[in-house]
Amino acid sequence: MSIARIKGGIGADEEYWLALERSEFRAPRCSECEQWMWPAHFRCGKCGSWEIAWDQIEPLGTIYTWTRNHAISDAVKERREDLPFVTILVELPQAGLIRVPGVLEGSEEGLYIGASVTGNIRPADEKTKNYATMVWRLADEKASK
Amino acid sequence: MSTKNSMRGAAAIVGIGQTPYYKRGTSPDPEMKLALRAIVAACEDAGIEPSEIDGFVSYGSEQNSGQKLMPALGTKSLKFAALAWTHGGGIPAAVGLGAQAIHAGTCDVVVVYRAMAEDSNQRLQVAVTQGDTPAQFLANGIDMVLQRSAQRSQRMIEKEGVPRSTLEAIALVGYHHAQNNPAAAGYGQKMGHEKYESSRYISEPFHLFDCSRENDGAAAVILVSGERAKRLKQKPAYLLSCPMGAEAGTSSGALEDNHEPYTSVGMVDLAKRLWSESGYKPEDVDVAQIYENFTGMAVASIIDHGFCTRQEAGEFISLENLKAPTGGFPINTSGGNIADGFIHGMGLVLEAVRQLRGTSPNQVPGAKLSLMAGGPGDSVTSTALFGSEETL
Repeated sequence: MSIARIKGGIGADEEYWLALERSEFRAPRCSECEQWMWPAHFRCGKCGSWEIAWDQIEPLGTIYTWTRNHAISDAVKERREDLPFVTILVELPQAGLIRVPGVLEGSEEGLYIGASVTGNIRPADEKTKNYATMVWRLADEKASK
Repeated sequence: MSTKNSMRGAAAIVGIGQTPYYKRGTSPDPEMKLALRAIVAACEDAGIEPSEIDGFVSYGSEQNSGQKLMPALGTKSLKFAALAWTHGGGIPAAVGLGAQAIHAGTCDVVVVYRAMAEDSNQRLQVAVTQGDTPAQFLANGIDMVLQRSAQRSQRMIEKEGVPRSTLEAIALVGYHHAQNNPAAAGYGQKMGHEKYESSRYISEPFHLFDCSRENDGAAAVILVSGERAKRLKQKPAYLLSCPMGAEAGTSSGALEDNHEPYTSVGMVDLAKRLWSESGYKPEDVDVAQIYENFTGMAVASIIDHGFCTRQEAGEFISLENLKAPTGGFPINTSGGNIADGFIHGMGLVLEAVRQLRGTSPNQVPGAKLSLMAGGPGDSVTSTALFGSEETL
């Protein structure tokens, strides 16, 4: 079944979303020179290759930055009932230090830049605009899921 | 003075015009009429007939194209029309495009303008982001501008040690200047540390008063050649340099926050070009209009331009130092996007010109070099240095 996709940005990341639907966390890199890239693009600007590989990676990273959201625009209004919530940029050392956006779930104790996080896949729903997404928890979080 | 930039002083702003700032969604006129009112006002200010305009330039998602305005302006011949390919980052770039067309001999009188009215268009967030927000953000509850700017400022504060007081200084100086500007939306609205600090958070570290306003309105400037400018009634604001662009790896928008340095707003290389093309240095600038969609982004813009370092920011970006006329680095002297009003930042160009004319509500005495920095963090941005005749 095909779902309506958001048109915006580069638009070369369909494989990322399809992988999450298969419960796989994948990131793009050039097949030739192995340069990691984010966002995914159609051609490697470093070596000129048109072949992009999607390597499976462990959902482990560190918080590169964060904000606690208290008001959000209509573009993401489905999340208003969750306010306040924390969004983060996660740096992925196992994928060339690319940074991916995400939502922090669970405890906010120990939330600081550099803190370790682990990811879990959240199935698609209205709040995620019908995309399966990776959600993140602080790795040191004591509380159980 | 001469530099390798043949555009230096080739064109000047000779007319400015704008409508009042209406609260978003309350404009008495449709957007196109607002555009016409601002353009005709700018022509009257310049002493040029509206029918003489033969070049039209705007930026972002401007809908009121030159060809639609022609019949109402009595335009004899449209010879140049362009849209800078960005959002608020495109404001100086739009002025630069007009100047290039004049310098090339393509056209003689260019209007650079922006009009926004919610009833004619869409919610500001939509009109500004143009429906181009990547799924990676939207699927994670992140809209294009606010939250990503907040995340960037958070790292600037938490990791790089730029004090939060710099954000407050940007907000307070806007309100301080607006108190001398009866046309400002924030005129009569008292602001101070307590009120700022106790205002609600929108997206940490941004409080309500760290965010720009939303207004309906239109603003326009008229550009002609530097030669013709000398013969017109207003004191010309010569365009000394106006670089636009993005160095590899620095475009936060296109790289979805994988740009470097992350807390920069894409203006480090632009500033190098600005100083090289204009022949001036940051310390030569008398007054600056720094586009502040959010205060923290303006702080980064000031740092990117080389006015101060991250280490010096706490001392340099203080209310006292940013105030006109007494501060060492007066900014946003009409109140800026935060306290004057927000027509996608276009009002800042008009204020940069007023400073050179000596007609600002918060005049910097004898201002000769006046900077206008475009939208910080835009995927492609731009910055402009204007000067009086003696700076040429």
